Amino acid sequence: MPETVNSDLWVDRYGDMMYRFTLVRVKNPDSAEEIVQVTLLAALQAKGSFQGRSTEKSWLFGILKHKILDHFRELKTQRTFELTPEDGSDPLENAYLPEGHWINLPKNWDTDPHKAAENRQLVEVLAKCMDKLSDKFRNIFVLKEIEGLASDEICKEMDIKPTNLWVILHRARHQLRKCLEMNHWDTKR
Amino acid sequence: MKSNTLMVKFLGWMIKWLKATCRDTTPLISEMMDHTLPLGKRLRVKFHLAICDVCGFYKKQLETVRALARKLGGEEAPTQQEAVLSEEAKSKIKDSLKQAS
Repeated sequence: MPETVNSDLWVDRYGDMMYRFTLVRVKNPDSAEEIVQVTLLAALQAKGSFQGRSTEKSWLFGILKHKILDHFRELKTQRTFELTPEDGSDPLENAYLPEGHWINLPKNWDTDPHKAAENRQLVEVLAKCMDKLSDKFRNIFVLKEIEGLASDEICKEMDIKPTNLWVILHRARHQLRKCLEMNHWDTKR
Repeated sequence: MKSNTLMVKFLGWMIKWLKATCRDTTPLISEMMDHTLPLGKRLRVKFHLAICDVCGFYKKQLETVRALARKLGGEEAPTQQEAVLSEEAKSKIKDSLKQAS
């Protein structure tokens, strides 16, 4: 039986879920709210094109993903995503001894990455750590690791040089792993 | 005799080239997660990881960060259950949908 859409129920059925999905990506509650609204309005206009090939929910989330990317494109017009001196010095600059060894050795987390991802508490710590990144670093990390965009796509869409993309991603990942270590592994022992 | 000297020189050069520090290796560990590195760099990372447990931990940590981020981004992320649209926002969106239909 093909599924039909029922726009009257969208907000109650999917509103909170869509809002949370968006909030993880854009951080700002007002923007997240607006993106949900824009998505549902776009869905309403495209209602006729819903083929019932997917569920109503995945159809709406598909539109939502596009609107989130539009939001990132819009952000780019306001502020560059490229690495600038304002992004501060490299947090890894003082992480090594002169001969190139670690000063504070990364710990053995002793976990399989995919098993770790089943730990709800840990996922929540990551969410908090992500909010401590600068907006630019957070946005690029989101595009890469959450949206799963290819590197060349990010460079093209956001006008970043590939070498700077690697730098931004490495700094973001380094800050996140440090934050996770401090707020999870260090508190366990 | 001469070829032996050359061989030793070549090996010395190889070892020097392969002997990357943690500082050299960590950015490459991150970069490897995003695209395929040229063969030379790939070999240097492999060689370093074979002799440095700590950079191995670092690599695993970055992979864990990635796995956690993917989970967080899922449609039913197990986080922020308390984050919901306010009643005000909900009625605002419902009104705009009504007006548009």
